[in-house]
Amino acid sequence: MQLEVSITSKMYTNAAGNRQQALAGFNFVLSEGEVGVFVGPSGCGKSTMLRIVVGLDPDYEGRVSRPPGAKIGMVFQEPRLLPWRSVDENVRLVAPHADEKRLAMLFETLGLEDHRSHFPGELSLGLARRVAVARAFAVEPDFLILDEPLASLDDALAARLREQIATLVDSRTVTTLLVTHNVDDAVQLGDRLFFLSQRPSHVIAEVPIHTPRAQRGPDELKRIKAELSRLTLANL
Amino acid sequence: MLRLLSFAAFLATWWGAAFLAGDQKLPAPPVVLAAVMTEARSGALFFHLGVTLARVGLAFVLAMTLGAALGYLMGRVRLADRLGDPWLILLLHLPALVVIVLAYIWAGLTEVAAIAAIAINKLPTAVVTLREGTRTLDANLDEMAAVFAIPRWKAFRHVILPQLAPYIAAAARSGLSLVWKIVLVAELLGRPNGVGFEIGVAFQLFDIPLLLAYSLTFAALVLTIETALVQPIEARLSRWRRRAA
Repeated sequence: MQLEVSITSKMYTNAAGNRQQALAGFNFVLSEGEVGVFVGPSGCGKSTMLRIVVGLDPDYEGRVSRPPGAKIGMVFQEPRLLPWRSVDENVRLVAPHADEKRLAMLFETLGLEDHRSHFPGELSLGLARRVAVARAFAVEPDFLILDEPLASLDDALAARLREQIATLVDSRTVTTLLVTHNVDDAVQLGDRLFFLSQRPSHVIAEVPIHTPRAQRGPDELKRIKAELSRLTLANL
Repeated sequence: MLRLLSFAAFLATWWGAAFLAGDQKLPAPPVVLAAVMTEARSGALFFHLGVTLARVGLAFVLAMTLGAALGYLMGRVRLADRLGDPWLILLLHLPALVVIVLAYIWAGLTEVAAIAAIAINKLPTAVVTLREGTRTLDANLDEMAAVFAIPRWKAFRHVILPQLAPYIAAAARSGLSLVWKIVLVAELLGRPNGVGFEIGVAFQLFDIPLLLAYSLTFAALVLTIETALVQPIEARLSRWRRRAA
């Protein structure tokens, strides 16, 4: 399903009581099945934009055209699991009709098959993140929203989860929004990269990547990154 | 084992005190036990305990249900909080005796009056505890439930209720002990049966063994319900928490 976003303005009041503009003229279009990656400095309003897109924040000017009834799977910055439910129950709660075979495969892809009966409090952050990813995919979403899913993981762990996410995104047609401040994530996962400005945030450049995800070897990734730095965008 | 030891120490102290104070003021354990046996054989003991227990159960369930609902509402809706707060403070500070006496005057010396009076005494503490609990609800989890479009009732059961469970347990705990205390006063003042009524009779006759017989069996009943019912439920509700060292 296609997603069209044009946010003319989003104001917010900070703790000190000052009105500030978080987003201004933030426009983009994602076609069905595309992975859009949003790269920008931290604090530029990426999460604010995501909250508007998924409908958590109705207080903005502009328009988000998201087909009604579209299923959303979201991975928040913090895992946001229910501590009082096991890993299995956490996933099943959002996807009550998921069949066992598909869930088992999902857990296996993410390396969670031994942790299904654990409570989230017993998991490391990396594992909890993977459970959050499993939960988002379990609903078979039309839209997948990933808010810095790899932040504060060590490099090896981040690389592994990045590959797992790539596998899952390619396993079905899902329009994906991924927010990150890491160019490596962007070039490895994205079909279309959006580079964002400082506050008030808007898209300053849009770069499509045509090489399919599966064919992006180390050389290809280096080439894409070189191209980006020619556009002087990669140093954001 | 430790509990047994503690109980033995209690008996020994009682016996010693009885020896010092004399049978007139504090009868020794065997005398009280004899009184318990007489009452049990006639069936009066079980009848009065049962009546009191029924009142406790009814008033407790009534107060908890109403209190939890009101507390949740006041924690969630600002307007409800501001409207309800003065009433809450009034009820919270109204002496139990006033509520009981007024209930008997307005509704007559009836069962309804007694149970309502007990429930009203417990209600405000339940409301306050649940309101505090509702205020601590995690907005992040609410957002998660909204994004994943978890149906309202399911979200309440799996997301909200577990967060409130410790507060419900706390309200139940403190509420139960309050109800135990107040039910006897309500019975003493306006009911023709129940443990409170029997204690009133024993007081008027200065029958100390009878008084202690009812008090202690009542205390034993409270203890049994605590250990057999309240504690296991609490343990089950908090099984996901890491064990405290």
